[in-house]
Amino acid sequence: MCKSLGILLLCVGGLLPIHWATADESEAVAFFENKIRPILVQHCYECHSGASDSIKGGLRLDFRELSRKGGDSGPAVIPKRVADSLIISALKYETAEMPPSGKLPDKVIADFVRWIEMGAADPREESAAHAPPKKTGDKIDWKAAGEFWSFQAPRKTAPPEVVNSTWIAQPIDAFILGTLEQAGMAPNEPADRRTLLRRVTLDMIGLPPSYEEMEEFADDTNPAAYERAVQRLLASDHFGERWARVWLDVARFAEDQAHIVGDNKELFYPNAYLYRDWVVQAFNRDLPYDEFIRQQIAADLVNPRDSSNVAALGFMGLGPKYYRRNAPDVMAEEWEDRVDTVSRGLLGLTVACARCHDHKYDPIPTEDYYGLAGVFAGTEMFNKPFSDGDETKENGQAKDTEKSTHIVRDAAPRDLKVMIRGDVTNEGDQVNRGFLRVLGNGQSKPFRIGSGRLELAYAIASPANPLTARVIVNRVWGQYFGQPLVDTPSNFGQLGSRPTHPELLDDLAVRFMENGWSLKWLHREIVLSSTYRQSSRLDATKSKLDPANKLVWRVNRKRLSVESWRDSLLAAAGVLDRSLGGRSIQVSSPNENRRTMYSYISRFELDPLLTLLDFPDPNTHSERRSQTTTALQKLFSLNSPLMVRLAKDLSGRVVKQPDLTDRARVKLAYQAALARNPDGEEIEAAVEYINAGQNKDEQWERFAQAMLASNEMLIID
Amino acid sequence: MPDLKLSRRNLLTKAGAGFGAIGLAIAMCQESRGGTATGLSGGMRDLPHFMPRAKRVIHLFMNGAPSHVDTFDPKPMLAKYEGQQPTGKLYNPSKGTGFMPSPFRFSPHGSSGVVISELFPQLAEYADDLCVIRSMHTNVPNHEPGLLMMNCGHLQPVRPSLGSWISYGLGTENENLPSFVVLSPGRPVVGPQLWSNSFLPGQFQGTSVDTNDLDVEKMVANIRHPLLDSAQQRQQLDLLLAMNRRHMQQRENEAIFDEQIRAMELAYQMQSEAMVAFDIARESDQTRQRYGNTPFGQSCLLARRLVENGVRMVQVHYVSKKNKQPWDTHTDNNGQHRRLCEDSDRATAALLSDLKSRGLLDDTLVVWGGEFGRTPYSQVDNKKSDTKPGRDHHHTGFSMFLAGGGVQGGLMYGSTDEFGMHAVENRVHVHDLHATIMHLLGIDHQRLTYRYSGRDFRLTDIHGRIVNDILA
Repeated sequence: MCKSLGILLLCVGGLLPIHWATADESEAVAFFENKIRPILVQHCYECHSGASDSIKGGLRLDFRELSRKGGDSGPAVIPKRVADSLIISALKYETAEMPPSGKLPDKVIADFVRWIEMGAADPREESAAHAPPKKTGDKIDWKAAGEFWSFQAPRKTAPPEVVNSTWIAQPIDAFILGTLEQAGMAPNEPADRRTLLRRVTLDMIGLPPSYEEMEEFADDTNPAAYERAVQRLLASDHFGERWARVWLDVARFAEDQAHIVGDNKELFYPNAYLYRDWVVQAFNRDLPYDEFIRQQIAADLVNPRDSSNVAALGFMGLGPKYYRRNAPDVMAEEWEDRVDTVSRGLLGLTVACARCHDHKYDPIPTEDYYGLAGVFAGTEMFNKPFSDGDETKENGQAKDTEKSTHIVRDAAPRDLKVMIRGDVTNEGDQVNRGFLRVLGNGQSKPFRIGSGRLELAYAIASPANPLTARVIVNRVWGQYFGQPLVDTPSNFGQLGSRPTHPELLDDLAVRFMENGWSLKWLHREIVLSSTYRQSSRLDATKSKLDPANKLVWRVNRKRLSVESWRDSLLAAAGVLDRSLGGRSIQVSSPNENRRTMYSYISRFELDPLLTLLDFPDPNTHSERRSQTTTALQKLFSLNSPLMVRLAKDLSGRVVKQPDLTDRARVKLAYQAALARNPDGEEIEAAVEYINAGQNKDEQWERFAQAMLASNEMLIID
Repeated sequence: MPDLKLSRRNLLTKAGAGFGAIGLAIAMCQESRGGTATGLSGGMRDLPHFMPRAKRVIHLFMNGAPSHVDTFDPKPMLAKYEGQQPTGKLYNPSKGTGFMPSPFRFSPHGSSGVVISELFPQLAEYADDLCVIRSMHTNVPNHEPGLLMMNCGHLQPVRPSLGSWISYGLGTENENLPSFVVLSPGRPVVGPQLWSNSFLPGQFQGTSVDTNDLDVEKMVANIRHPLLDSAQQRQQLDLLLAMNRRHMQQRENEAIFDEQIRAMELAYQMQSEAMVAFDIARESDQTRQRYGNTPFGQSCLLARRLVENGVRMVQVHYVSKKNKQPWDTHTDNNGQHRRLCEDSDRATAALLSDLKSRGLLDDTLVVWGGEFGRTPYSQVDNKKSDTKPGRDHHHTGFSMFLAGGGVQGGLMYGSTDEFGMHAVENRVHVHDLHATIMHLLGIDHQRLTYRYSGRDFRLTDIHGRIVNDILA
């Protein structure tokens, strides 16, 4: 049987940066690309590259400088010195015999000789981005490793001096404007009032503003009107609903299992909604983010006498349980899920890479993986009875899962042995439970209290942790601007992106902590900025200079998430049920009127509407949502029972009004669906359409459906 | 000044122009962190990696796992040693009565002499097109992980399926139809994970179609407006497009709006095309009968229609409403195989016949098999005295066959030991099969990767060897 069981996950070789060759160079480079690189990749990289399981002879041939530096025997490639380049004698089977699987054809060896004679052109630069962690012998140089940007504590720096200082409304703005001015650019003009209110309302509570709210805001000349609107939105219960869904993607929230044997629902989580509702409430009451994390990892240990946060343990307690669980290899998979969710979700580190071998790019040795996994190995998934008198099984779990909270609790604490190459049958040294050494200056104090969950919770939710605050600040920023400051929100490691505005990210992270880890503070800080209040206008000159808008010279237009889109449709049709909390709904049922965030989330089979509109696979942590545009999505807009029903509801709102002209009805429809008045041409076009069919009521419905299916409904300016 | 006039004729003419289904090569998918941006049709820009031999795949999945020693891998020694207990740790003697010979006669067929059991009389006529692999093996003898391995290359969930990888890599041949369709009259064991896109973008998920009811509108969600006819919907769409067009012109014609407009037009066209492609009623009664009036038979016919219309990969699961894995013959192996094979034989032969006569078999790869095989020894249900013996799950040696799409026909490749217990010669792991299928499609399985969670994932993980010996 295949030993590794497919769990040895493939790690990445360096992506090569673009090399701009001069005209003279390009021929030599072409020779390398055509004749040399393919051979290296095919015959050498297996043992001599960053992707090798162990690098043979200390030699790497996947970058120019590493090839020239050579391995234990000396330089492999010396430009123009064929006789001294060890790679040639090895290929000729004169010294070493490489590749060991068989001598390459003479023609190939001749190509290598010619390549070296020509100067060994080689565009493969080892960028800092892909340098492996520095090691001395087998030990990581922790001091050097700690110098990487994301492992350094975030620091406040003085905001840059700017010319246009009147633009500064928030500290954010100085950083954004500073880089813009440096690039010789200016921010966009402010968005108009209606655009701004629609944007900030959808961004903050996930629902569109009503026509009346729009009118009132547009006419309000008080300079404090915007701030008042923001306060109102922050205080809305819908704020928690909107932002909880962002967190539930991070937490890979789901209510069942991917594997269902027969009709066995034993492993399902009928009360998963308690965790979902806890998250909503935590955001609404502005539970400090550090506390928010601690409660989710260890609510039972943080304050054992207070059971009011017990549902928070669903963060782990609703995790996937795999088929054949309790078999060692299956439990190893479950621990990986826990490590992955915690490390990518809270720390922005891809620790699960280190399950089978030391992380190839980040200073995370295999021992550190098993140190973390050991925490989860010492916990158990537990259905805690609602009340003490409820009937329980032998182990204290509720007999009826319907009457229980799904949590984790400590079991017998245990330290794990390293599983060599991830193989459960191949055990190495035992490792103390503990935190990542790179976040402790190379030290890891063993966790002593039970499973170690409590210590883990404090190690993550700590002002001394350089990642935790940065990672959440970046996620929130990404939601508002459609583009996070670090483009890989769950990977702040070597292979992740670097921040576009490092000082800004740090400044926000530090002040976020100084302000008691208050998320509402963070939201306010962002939405009150001039940066956020810019128009989204696509300026031709600026988009030539910075097409990706990395410098934030405008606010990106954003597509609504499936949640906000469906909720907006229900609101337009006047049927949205705004009640809070409770059991999950079947969102694809066309008569369901509750908000989309209450959808039942299935690991086994995700609801088709959610699947259609880029909802992430809830089987794992989601770094960010993908955005696809497909014809199947539009078939839903054109033909689905939901759209047809809502079109009827919307048209009913305007047709039922007595004694109105068609023109007045069109106006009403625009107000209801798009919270604005139509202009003359829009009215003409609508009236013409409505009178073009035989049955006027039916034409109204079709018109209403077109409004619901429109781009204006779907996209935020 | 952009022309913002909303007079119907003026704008509708504009809206109607240039949104056809052809030539949508522009990048439409924002999500490109895993690799090169994809178009609305999907597909990576640098693929295929080399000249493909197959353009599309039909995977006929015998859910529950057919018995290799009763179908494609004759083992006369089982008769000689009938009733004897095999040795080895994999055997659980409490379950059975020792080696159980197949009651079915095997004989060579075609000019190549491929050996096939009497259970497949019609398929035997295509012996010279078949490449029977007798040396398949997989990791575990349980359905769930076995199904996941065969479909997604991993024993646990949360990996993209073969069809999703292929769609991701190659996109679709017909933008009006999904690129990966899964036909299943009922749900197989494990279910949607078997055609999951997992961390690949959602558009690469298999579109699953319940073929119990062959009415097109039942099979394809939202394919037709419940009230409007085509002309009425066109009129509505023209209004919508005019609104969207004007909205876009007021917003510097930013590309995100154009994408939406094009997708809407495409959806409209997809309706008529899908209505035709999925409409099995357009086939003659005679054709439908050739495939057999069974869910599997009619699904095979639908599979042919779909690949003819440009669907990249079609998978047909052999399941029924009541049985998620009919081939799981723990009892009455022989009787059940007789019945199941009759159905599968007729439909598979009809499919090969049609593909051949249409010239499609040359670049369509047909794959037939289950998640593993069945034990050469018997399994007896001790609780029920009157049941006939069955065969248990068996993963260390089993058979599958390939046809068309660049594989050698008339070939028997690899072998199990004399009892059919273990693949011994030219062993082919599921990863190797995947690597080979991808190779036939012009994909280097080591290069089709997707970056997720800090790693580059691929279907074959760190495994996979192309079975060069079976390539034509």
